[in-house]
Amino acid sequence: MTSFSAKHKPLPLVFNVLSECRTTKARVGKMVLPHGQVDTPVFMPVGTQGTLKGMLPEQLEKLGLQIMLANTYHLGTRPGPDVLKKAGGLHKFMNWNGALLTDSGGFQMVSLLKLAEITEEGVKFQSLNQQKAEVMLTPEHSIEIQNAIGADIIMQTTRWLDRCLKSHANPETQSIFPIVQGTLYEDLRVISANDHIKRDVNGYAIGGLSGGESKDDFWKVVHLCTDILPKDKPRYLMGVGFAVDLVVCCALGVDMFDCVFPTRTARFGCALIMTGQVNLKKKKYAKDFNPIDKDCTCNTCQKYTRAYLHGVVTSYPIACHLLTEHNLAFQLRLMKMIRDSIHENTFPKFVADFMLNLHPDKDYPTWIQNSLKAVNIELL
Amino acid sequence: MKFCIRNPQKRAPRLGILKNIEGRTNIEIETPVVLLHTQGGHIPHVTHEVFKLVSKEPQILQIPLVSMHNFQETMEYYNGTISEFIGNKDSLTCLTLQDPSNLTKQGHHVKEKVPIWTKNGKVLYDSEMYMNIVESFKPDMYYLLSDGDTNKTSAPKRISKAVEHTIIFNNQCLERHKKSNILKKAFVMAPIAGGYCLKSREKCIQAILKNTNELGGFLIDGLHNNGPEVEFLPFEEVRDVVEYVIKSVPQEKLCSVQGCWNPVNVLKLVQQGIDMFDTSYCRILTERSAAMIFPIDNTEEADSFEINLRQSKYVDDFTPIMFSCQCLACSKYSRGYIHHLLTVQELLAPVLIMIHNIHHYLRFFKKIRECIQNNTLSDLENRISEQYKNHQEKVLSAKTEEEPRRTYPRNDVGDVE
Ligand SMILES: [Zn+2]
Ligand SMILES: [Zn+2]
Repeated sequence: MTSFSAKHKPLPLVFNVLSECRTTKARVGKMVLPHGQVDTPVFMPVGTQGTLKGMLPEQLEKLGLQIMLANTYHLGTRPGPDVLKKAGGLHKFMNWNGALLTDSGGFQMVSLLKLAEITEEGVKFQSLNQQKAEVMLTPEHSIEIQNAIGADIIMQTTRWLDRCLKSHANPETQSIFPIVQGTLYEDLRVISANDHIKRDVNGYAIGGLSGGESKDDFWKVVHLCTDILPKDKPRYLMGVGFAVDLVVCCALGVDMFDCVFPTRTARFGCALIMTGQVNLKKKKYAKDFNPIDKDCTCNTCQKYTRAYLHGVVTSYPIACHLLTEHNLAFQLRLMKMIRDSIHENTFPKFVADFMLNLHPDKDYPTWIQNSLKAVNIELL
Repeated sequence: MKFCIRNPQKRAPRLGILKNIEGRTNIEIETPVVLLHTQGGHIPHVTHEVFKLVSKEPQILQIPLVSMHNFQETMEYYNGTISEFIGNKDSLTCLTLQDPSNLTKQGHHVKEKVPIWTKNGKVLYDSEMYMNIVESFKPDMYYLLSDGDTNKTSAPKRISKAVEHTIIFNNQCLERHKKSNILKKAFVMAPIAGGYCLKSREKCIQAILKNTNELGGFLIDGLHNNGPEVEFLPFEEVRDVVEYVIKSVPQEKLCSVQGCWNPVNVLKLVQQGIDMFDTSYCRILTERSAAMIFPIDNTEEADSFEINLRQSKYVDDFTPIMFSCQCLACSKYSRGYIHHLLTVQELLAPVLIMIHNIHHYLRFFKKIRECIQNNTLSDLENRISEQYKNHQEKVLSAKTEEEPRRTYPRNDVGDVE
């Protein structure tokens, strides 16, 4: 348990583990941030440009969303740190009163800009704006943008961590999480993780695992990292958000996740359900007068049939809003089910039921069998 | 549903009420009224849930059949009404053929059939097919089928065809309506065709008046082919036809027009005695990133008639679209934020602009009713005409310096690819 050390110095993050699963490494926690509390394990949807796929913050609050992610690189380009500073930070600019987390900006550089040149000084890249100017994003610049955005939690890679911690302007309102890297080399991950835990930070991110690595390698790295990272601080697995990955990684002891998938797939007419996805574009839904998911309490499932949604998906922006709302509600409901079952000490059964529901023929992929076995869950 | 006039001593402008609504006896709708224009069952960009944050007052949704045609077969199997199907069972619905916010392609007429242009191409509707869909939708109000494909430039032959078709459609649909149990309580309105030829209008009206008992109201159809151009239709062009039709139809019936009329022309049409409009004007403004800010109350101040939030001067303008506006967009979001959303092409930009535009337009209609009540409609008309004129002059003079007025490459702007 963390406690307030100095009475007059507010902490930007207080994390308390409320329950721990007796079988796996899963735990339920509460993170207190400058913009509110966050129940963990938590899924954070991605609001790249200071907005979440047409949803109003009023709707997000109603859904019970506590935290979302914004992208440093995009916001640093447009509207830019000057406008954000004048606006009084991203919270005010976008009218979001809940918590915010920003990435380091580094990931986008690698994924968006093949021509990016990474030197010890910083990352040189072509800006996304029309001028096509070449911009150097130094660690100091990245932290300056993240300070202007004013997110509750900000990210930084190890390579520049010390430079960032030094230039960080708001240590009392913004926490920096270092990112444990090392791709799939276990020894490098161990070195990186051990290096981080020596530093005075409020939480840790596990990066570099949302790419194309095999699932067999993926879970082992997560398992290794959560073994090393201290138990009293939140652990954030970057870029992971498929339902099955969330369930497994919660069992491995991860507390925070983010992923563009639930909101991106909504745009293409896909609704998430516990057994996978409903592609509403398919002709077979034209006369299906059921909701997407009869167990879902979201507005979309309360008011609309699959038949209606089938007729409007990909034709009108409102269809994207309706599916986004459902997909967010789905992610939030799944995380709540995970937290509740950990609390009630029924998490192993929840995981086994979830996997059986997904694979009724019991043809479980080996990575699921192995990863869950590593935390003592026997599949049904 | 019944239409009652509150000040029958005066033909125009007038106040009315739609009441005795089947299953909603607690609801009354005051006229002049603006129907909420929809596409695919929703106000463009605004879900019904979000609209509840804009207004909680009862509304009538205008349902253009052309945007719902793809549900034709689905609705045959569906038991409920169209308002339930589109996810808003508390709203009233008014079914119409074409989408007033999109330019309707001209021509392609076939005997006793009218073409509509859906996202999957041309579909020909005859009276039977049309009434089948009306029965499966079960709207609270609907228009009889018509051939409204005329405008100021239409040749006499096209006009007489439009009248001929419309008379046939009206008769066929009404025959069917009289026999229909499902539609017994529906409020029926007859479109009057005839372009800009008063003789043709007379012919159409005479034919329709034989069935006047079945009708709740009329539509002055065939004034234009819908779409953004209607905003710039000079009122002088339509005045004679509107005046003639209003004079020739029974006074006690509701009289409607459709299309993206600008606020000045709305006021002029109300002065003539029109009772019902739609919000397609809000859509065409929103699609060009414009928010209407013309002052409605004389205590209000505004720097323009409308503003285009795409302009770079709004990048660090953290004031609301309109200070005196109480809408959700104005109370929580700034011009600068909406400008940012527009520059990065985010879906929330048109959501916020549409919320304001609809809120403003509803408030405008409320003001119109208030002014009729107080006998001050001419003051309002003068004030808004002046502001509109200044704005148009500014736009014209800026046109040479700045980017040209946005033109519409397609008539489905804003639809998702
Ligand atoms: Zn749902
Ligand atoms: Zn407003």
